[in-house]
Amino acid sequence: MIAKSLSWLRDRRSASPRFPDGLAPWRVVGASTAGTSHQKLGQACQDAAGWALGPERSLIVAVADGAGSASHGGEGARLAVSTAVNFLSNRRTLGSPNAQKDALVSALERARSALQSDAGRRGVTARDMATTLILLQATPDSVAALQVGDGAAVVNARQNGPTGVTSPQTGEYINETMFITAADAMDHHQTVCHGYGLTGGAVFSDGLQMLALKMPEGTPHPPFFGPLLRFVADATDAGQADAALRSFLASPRVTGQTTDDLTLVLFALDASPAGE
Amino acid sequence: MSEVTRLEDVVEFAENPEPRCPCVLLLDTSGSMQGAPIEALNRGLQTFKDDLMRDPVAPKRVEVALVTFDNDVTVVQDFVTADRFEAPKLDCRGMTHMAAGINTALDMVQARKDRYNQSGVPYYRPWVFMITDGRPQGEMPDFVDLAAQRIQEEEATKRVVFFGVGVEGADIPVLSEIVVRTPMRLRGLNFNELFVWLSRSMQAVSGSKVGDSVALQPPGWAAVD
Repeated sequence: MIAKSLSWLRDRRSASPRFPDGLAPWRVVGASTAGTSHQKLGQACQDAAGWALGPERSLIVAVADGAGSASHGGEGARLAVSTAVNFLSNRRTLGSPNAQKDALVSALERARSALQSDAGRRGVTARDMATTLILLQATPDSVAALQVGDGAAVVNARQNGPTGVTSPQTGEYINETMFITAADAMDHHQTVCHGYGLTGGAVFSDGLQMLALKMPEGTPHPPFFGPLLRFVADATDAGQADAALRSFLASPRVTGQTTDDLTLVLFALDASPAGE
Repeated sequence: MSEVTRLEDVVEFAENPEPRCPCVLLLDTSGSMQGAPIEALNRGLQTFKDDLMRDPVAPKRVEVALVTFDNDVTVVQDFVTADRFEAPKLDCRGMTHMAAGINTALDMVQARKDRYNQSGVPYYRPWVFMITDGRPQGEMPDFVDLAAQRIQEEEATKRVVFFGVGVEGADIPVLSEIVVRTPMRLRGLNFNELFVWLSRSMQAVSGSKVGDSVALQPPGWAAVD
């Protein structure tokens, strides 16, 4: 079904590749859209996403989902993303798997303290800026990720196809989760580093969980990721791909499943050799 | 009989894996509700169904159960998704066995959670919405106290959200000793507005995420004390 709604893209493929060179060897298409329930109340999107090239041509992706119940959740999400992406992209080397995990944890700490000081400036508490955070750092041969809260990171492994890297953290009730502003957040992050080959992946906020993951196992749903990962691998024009992703996120097939804000960042390793 | 029900449920969750937002309507059908009040309540139940059906996700997510209390406690409707809920025509008679009704509603909530967990269906915090025009009647005071204690425990451990609504004639001071949240007083027989509010609140919850709290619209149907 998803394949069908995206297939028109191929007909409009532009002849010349127009993806930003700054991210080579990666192609990234990502978007955040305000959920229908937020639109109804005139609220802005409280999700945020960012990506950048990191050390050793690794790709860094961050997705955050500001708490709907927090007065400054959207600001918290944006600040957490920019702080973490800036920190990770300014490192010089990737280092060992453990060093990669440590770097992600440091990025989380920086995001937390940035929220603290920003909350102080605004005269609110950190809790008023509550947000989830997912960080992913990929190379062609490894992936490291950290997550606090819900949503998930998935990679397309060379061997096994769509593979979950992190999974949603929820309480008993589906609308409860962990935020980076929680006092015990440093004790509850999931942080992993795997050394397998990959060709791409996705990071998404919880609005897409029902479509993207098989519940309750929380494993990636191949009929969802197969077509979407092919879409980003085949995309040649960043502007068109971005528009296609936005219209997908706004389509009834997606909005019929959720009224929440939606964020989806898709990435693929360019198949052609660098500097072609 | 129970085997058949269970199979049906398994199929139900396979066909509809949406997260569930359960709500028990716990309704006083004692003799004093006779006449205009029960007629207004019955119309309100139809409004509830109609309003839920207008939402894109609520018909498959909100689950409604309906329990009445008078001389007996009757499970008029066990949990069904809103699209399968049919508003009944309730009659009234007798006393107000409220504490027994509370226990039945809370037992049903726990049983439903067990079923969700067995089936791997995610869910929201359940609501019990109790409407009465009186006070516990025909029950031992200790039994009523135990029911009140149980509400307190289950609210404190976040197992349930329990609302109490008093219709004209309800003993609000007694009601506030039973429910934890401040009881709301229905203005006149404005059941329609009440059920539209309840439906909108369930829609807000069933479309919500993160954080415990969903900002509910102020109940326009409630009298201000």
